[in-house]
Amino acid sequence: MAGTIIGQGIVIEGEVTSDEAVIVAGTVRGKLTVDGPVTIEASGVVEADIGATSLSNGGSITGNVVVGDRVDLLSGSRLVGDVKSARVTIADGAMFKGNVDMDS
Amino acid sequence: MSRGSTMHRSSSSDEAHLLGRTVKVRGRVTGDGDLRVEGTIEGDVRVSGELTIGTSGVVTGQTNAQAVVVEGNLQGDVQAVGEIAIRAGARVEGNLSGATVALDEGASFDGRIDTDFELPDDLMSPAGEGGARPSRDARRGGRR
Repeated sequence: MAGTIIGQGIVIEGEVTSDEAVIVAGTVRGKLTVDGPVTIEASGVVEADIGATSLSNGGSITGNVVVGDRVDLLSGSRLVGDVKSARVTIADGAMFKGNVDMDS
Repeated sequence: MSRGSTMHRSSSSDEAHLLGRTVKVRGRVTGDGDLRVEGTIEGDVRVSGELTIGTSGVVTGQTNAQAVVVEGNLQGDVQAVGEIAIRAGARVEGNLSGATVALDEGASFDGRIDTDFELPDDLMSPAGEGGARPSRDARRGGRR
């Protein structure tokens, strides 16, 4: 099974937890805790704190991010919040406002 | 009549909206289009398309959709514009309100069924009376 896809047009208000990969193309408000990789698609909007093993953001995140492995902020993405991760990349064209903590 | 076309076999429609097996949602889920739930939702679900609660899906809360197919576990009231189908192996506790309700053999159900017909006048004639539709659905479903 391909894990979870929170599709475009789906809005979740509340707490989401998962033990496998999550792809967000819709909207999540609340909290997103995943024991696996999280991918935010360009259409994805997350207004929540995120915990995951890795994060690839192509959409919009408002919230703090705590990730075990790596965070990739792709071109055209937006992140407002603090990032705690061992590795962080911010692509040209990504919008980011917040602190980065790469201690681990 | 559009009602009839919303009932897909669970594998057919696009499954872009999917809550996987290990996912737990505590809160409200709303959306446009279809949604397939294989995980757990504690809260209300409202989608404009078809809601499918898969065999590993567990939903506790009220559900509201164009059509609802339950193959898993559902606790709460169901309101559908179109069909509600409770498949074999499903467990449902709550009141069902929809245009037609199909309850397969092997499903467990505890609650009320309230079928709400919005048929056009030409289908309201005694010959096409509503009782036939749900039972036909149930038989069709039961053969699977």
